[in-house]
Amino acid sequence: MGSDERKQELFGKMKEGVIEYDEDQVVEAANALVDEGFDAYEGIMDGLAAGMEVVGELFDSQEYFVPEVLMCADALYAGLDILRPRVDMTGREAVKGEVVIGVVEGDVHDIGKNLVKMMFEVAGFTVHDLGADVPIDEFVEKQINTNSDIVALSAMMTTTMMGMKKAIVKLKEKNPDVMIMLGGAPVTGEIADMFGADGYSENASNAVSEAIKMVAALRKM
Amino acid sequence: MTMTHKERVLKTIKGEPVDKMPAFTGFGAVLVEGLEKYGLRFAHVHLDADEMAKAAAATSELAGLEAIVVPFDMGVEAEALGATLNTYPHSEDLLYPTLRDKFVHTADDINLPADIANAGRVPLVTEAIKKLKEQYGEEYAVASWVLGPFTLAGQVMDLNELLKMSFKEPEKANAILDKLSDMIIGVGKAYIAAGADYLSLREMGATSDVLSPRAYKKQIKGFSQRIVEELKATGVPIVYHICGDTNMIIEDMAELGADAVSVDQKNDLKASREKLGDEVVLLGNINPWDVFTQGSKEDVQREVRASVEAGADAVWPGCDIWPTTSTANIKTWVETSHELTPRRNGA
Repeated sequence: MGSDERKQELFGKMKEGVIEYDEDQVVEAANALVDEGFDAYEGIMDGLAAGMEVVGELFDSQEYFVPEVLMCADALYAGLDILRPRVDMTGREAVKGEVVIGVVEGDVHDIGKNLVKMMFEVAGFTVHDLGADVPIDEFVEKQINTNSDIVALSAMMTTTMMGMKKAIVKLKEKNPDVMIMLGGAPVTGEIADMFGADGYSENASNAVSEAIKMVAALRKM
Repeated sequence: MTMTHKERVLKTIKGEPVDKMPAFTGFGAVLVEGLEKYGLRFAHVHLDADEMAKAAAATSELAGLEAIVVPFDMGVEAEALGATLNTYPHSEDLLYPTLRDKFVHTADDINLPADIANAGRVPLVTEAIKKLKEQYGEEYAVASWVLGPFTLAGQVMDLNELLKMSFKEPEKANAILDKLSDMIIGVGKAYIAAGADYLSLREMGATSDVLSPRAYKKQIKGFSQRIVEELKATGVPIVYHICGDTNMIIEDMAELGADAVSVDQKNDLKASREKLGDEVVLLGNINPWDVFTQGSKEDVQREVRASVEAGADAVWPGCDIWPTTSTANIKTWVETSHELTPRRNGA
């Protein structure tokens, strides 16, 4: 078997393992990829992320729902844990950057946040995860301390939107260049504009689907 | 003959003819203007029966909403099981209380209180119901609500863990849902004993935005059915609600035997009505934030009419009303409802 053919076979196994939430298959293929000296970065993008892209399609077409997506994410992480330490950055563009992520105070829903976090990790970002129910000042402090490029705020509920607004004002005040992303159920594009945010995802399903689409977009970069 | 608000509300839920289409909800409708009327702080109204009753009643006093509903937060059942409530007392913003501890991993972690009616804030809510019944009970309907077991599980468990368990280890998840159902029945019966005129069972988290229709049928429906049956046996009408787009499971929701089904703004209400036929009492489905909080008078009028045209027996918001909503918009909801012909016209 030719080397390229073998590589494609392993990518296919990882991809299928993510889609079928088969962690063992992903782990086996990722280990083989490393042992046989193939490129780990390509494995992440063309194996794991490619699988997640299909998961996104299955979610959009309502074949998969949130529990399935969470299990696919587990399978992806099982592969990412193996491949990420092996990524050789020499000759690649600089590491993407750093991001502070969390769910704003008053809201304890973190599934959307976790999927967005996964997207950043797949793409090679360093992620500072503050968790859920996070007071606004913690976002500001963490951004300053880490000099992160992006702050991603999540809220599932209308009740916490005002917290987002305050966070954006404070973040932009301290650092006008920071990019702010909003995600979660109640945040519409209009509200994101009103609050001065740079990106958003529309609702609970979209938070899942947008996160996956972002992985897809980053694959093409 | 003119009916009282209470008669109108209860007859509507039970599918009986009414003189006017009532405006009411089964969820929280506390308003900042109401809090101001009584000099109350939002973070504290969850913790005091008298304040809770006043905050709830103020919406009817100021805007004519025809039912008075307590409590306002989702934490009562979970707190009575041992979770810690955070009311964000120091926040300048309006924040609904949340729960801190995700202490349940198996059914063994759930210890049902021996006396559910006196666990956590359950007695506080029942006291608020009693006060409301005494002061307003002749005129207005006084109502309460409980969470569905899957939604309650999401309060006491890590949601990732719950969702994966429901898929990978359904029996383990079922044991948890079964115990939580007992808890919910106990809480619901305590509210009914205190005088609640109707009860809403809110299984918000079992939405088709999250769970497949297959998972709903296999895992959620049976527990909902048991709760509806046991609470309905008390003789009090029950409304069953799930958030999100529920048209894929709307027939299942109607089959539970609840007196009425409530759906939120993501549902195509016309399609729900077509699927259910004329008999089922359907409540919905205004977007409370977009229409009531952010909308103009004309927006409220248009959306109320649109819901009725699509087949609602009465216009409900899809969720709790956000407190900064103006009493003027609530009044418009009430007035517009009264101008419309009820689906079961008894005028």
